[in-house]
Amino acid sequence: MAFALLRHAVMRSAGVMILALMGAAVVFFAMRAAPGDPALTALGEGASTETIAAFRARWNLDEPLIVQFGLWVANALRGDFGQSLSIASGTDVYTLLADRLPNTLFIGVYAIILAVLISLVAGTAAALNRGGIIDTVATSIAAAGISMPDFWIGYVLIYAFALGLGWFPAYGFISPVESLGGSLLSGFLPALAIAAPMAASFTRILRSALIDNAHRDHVRVARSLGHGPSFIFLHHVLRNALIPFVTVIGLQVRYLLGGTVVIERIFGINGVGSLMIDAAFGRDYPIIQACALTFLLIVLLVNIVVDLICTMLNPRMR
Amino acid sequence: MNPITFNRRQALSLVAAAATLPMSFRAQAQSTTSQSSASLLRAAITGYTVINTFDPAKVTQLPESYVVWAVFNALVKFNQKMEIVPDLAESYSFIDPTTLEFKLRKGVKFHDGSELTSDDVKFSLERVLDEKTASPNRAKLSSIKTIETPDAHTVRIITHAPFAPLLTYLANTRTGTQIVPRKAVERLGDKFDFHPVGTGAYVLKEWKTGSGVKLEAFPDYFDGAPAFQTVSMPLIGEESSGLTALQGGQIDLTSTAPFASIPNLVKDPKIKVYKQTGLNVRYIGLNGRKAPFDDPHFRRALAMAFDRQAMVRSVVFGEGSPATGLLPPAIAKPGQPVPPSLTFNPAAAKAELAKAKYPADTEIKLLIWGPTWWRKIGEFFVIQVNQVLGTKIQIEAGESNAVFSRLRSGDYQAAVWGWLGFIDADEYLGDLLGKDGSRNFHGYNNPTFEALLEKGRSEVDPVVRRDVYHEAELLMLEDMPLIPCFNSNVHNLSIPALKGFTQLPYSNYGDQFAKLQLG
Repeated sequence: MAFALLRHAVMRSAGVMILALMGAAVVFFAMRAAPGDPALTALGEGASTETIAAFRARWNLDEPLIVQFGLWVANALRGDFGQSLSIASGTDVYTLLADRLPNTLFIGVYAIILAVLISLVAGTAAALNRGGIIDTVATSIAAAGISMPDFWIGYVLIYAFALGLGWFPAYGFISPVESLGGSLLSGFLPALAIAAPMAASFTRILRSALIDNAHRDHVRVARSLGHGPSFIFLHHVLRNALIPFVTVIGLQVRYLLGGTVVIERIFGINGVGSLMIDAAFGRDYPIIQACALTFLLIVLLVNIVVDLICTMLNPRMR
Repeated sequence: MNPITFNRRQALSLVAAAATLPMSFRAQAQSTTSQSSASLLRAAITGYTVINTFDPAKVTQLPESYVVWAVFNALVKFNQKMEIVPDLAESYSFIDPTTLEFKLRKGVKFHDGSELTSDDVKFSLERVLDEKTASPNRAKLSSIKTIETPDAHTVRIITHAPFAPLLTYLANTRTGTQIVPRKAVERLGDKFDFHPVGTGAYVLKEWKTGSGVKLEAFPDYFDGAPAFQTVSMPLIGEESSGLTALQGGQIDLTSTAPFASIPNLVKDPKIKVYKQTGLNVRYIGLNGRKAPFDDPHFRRALAMAFDRQAMVRSVVFGEGSPATGLLPPAIAKPGQPVPPSLTFNPAAAKAELAKAKYPADTEIKLLIWGPTWWRKIGEFFVIQVNQVLGTKIQIEAGESNAVFSRLRSGDYQAAVWGWLGFIDADEYLGDLLGKDGSRNFHGYNNPTFEALLEKGRSEVDPVVRRDVYHEAELLMLEDMPLIPCFNSNVHNLSIPALKGFTQLPYSNYGDQFAKLQLG
């Protein structure tokens, strides 16, 4: 048993490593294939040919692509992600990421918590009230929520809750490292903007899973055994319905990361998403590589966690 | 029992708690987000997020200049009427056509306490010229032969030939000629990039990548200590977020504004809008080395086949002026009629196209790029020109870095492009269209035009000089190596209580902080 688990863990880690390497390679070669030059951003349009050549030599950009990639992998394995070329010239990429990752993770986790809370309430209420007014309202809002893009929701929230009601700041984010209260307040609207479309799809999944499970045989058996309705709901209906629910949450994480890229810019959150945009426009290759790798690892990690939770909920999945 | 212990009521109360939690922290957070006391100015840098250096000699990005203008001074600067006036210099004069003499102010202190001398001026300018500095503005100073310092407060700049634009390039703008202290630069080396030492009203206190800049007033500033003790300059990448931040009370001043919102904002009493036609030009660049744009008839036909007024309305919501030449109104010869070649005239355009050696349906790709309004320039142009002339111009979309790379390498037929921040007429006509112009991606080379450029460079009298450039402009419009479209407005937004901001057409910013106050 212990051996099987260990073997599973090793296989899984090896899989993650290979996927990470493949992802890094795809991003690396795709970025180099795109036209553009970090020297233009760093040195300006007026830079002389000699200056540009010196810049390229300094950052090994004149080496063959495969050599550059090899250098990057070798350095990355030692934990060295290089230095920014063109958007924060000379700054260690690791420092840039370390400064920003907490903000992005905070907003991401905040958004997931909001989405899960909203969907647990709305999905359960809709399922228990199937065909009733609550169900109609909840499913209609969910349908609307799925079809609205998060940046649009972002601006709607700013106009309504920041400029209109004045409850939240319209712009700016206080890092959780500085003040937890400040970050919960200033992060609420951006987290909600990311959470809204997610909450909508979670609600729909949970509602249909609950309804589906409520009519299964084991539920009927439990009822005939004389268990109370709340025990049956918690133990037999909700528990089984949570498996597809959690799986969908895991799948949504990649959209969540995509969402933070846009939302961070609208709300002025100094996070990995906005760093990635700036780096992509400035062709700051080391930063793009490191950000992409970070996002990739987060998605892979979340998948593992989701598998673990599902296994806990349903031992048969082991 | 089960680890998951939600029932409906508990779940509901949890959500309620989650929703109210942030509000209970509101009071606490507010104290850190909106310190609008008189000692703090919150002047956002909107529309940009990249800063690579604060070293004037190496600056390439506009937000870098915003900060440099607050931290440094140059020998001269522009006043409200865009005339050159002394700054670190007390006075200046041409001793002869190739010798420009500056008398420096006495008692000017750098932030490190040292005193400004003529040696620092010589050092600063020679540093830009030094190949090792890799200054993007090296070419701007290449007319300089030697710099003499007869005494501690006199500087003589001797040029190879008479060179009128030099005075513009020595002003506190984007040409890297701000004065730096020799000792501090030699001591700090590359660290000077992020630890600038200048003579300006503000000292750089903090720089957080991607987040913002903090400045502190310099008590020994030669023009008197500024009213605001601290200036915070958050970097706000989205212009519309800059606007909502201003409306929400998080900032006091913006460096730009979204075009679409200006028509409404000018009616809003809670926001003060500063606007004027800027020093910029938006044009369709043509590659004269490739068919069909090696034919001047084809180029001229396109230039008359679209309505610039309508383009300004549709692309920038009326926030601009239709081009009447290549030079923006702030530096063009005033009171001139719009040349026929830049007037929308379908009949004349068709007649011109009929003279071209290429048929109307020649395959043409127009490169477009960037955020919405830049793309709309190309889209508007293509739709109307194709309609008027029956041409088959197609759009190829990219983004700025990619399109610019193709411009430089000559791998294009036509591209939407533009420049902002050029101040001297020679930068527009010479850089863009001169035979050796650093931004001549059009293959334009006309000896008569070259001769006029030379004449303009050696003419010291500003009025005569303007006439020369007007002549050059009319000549260039005959050849139409690029098609001028419009000059867009520059904008700043502020809270109404902020007083003392003077907007100049080159999008100045940091140089105004010292004069600002709440009133």
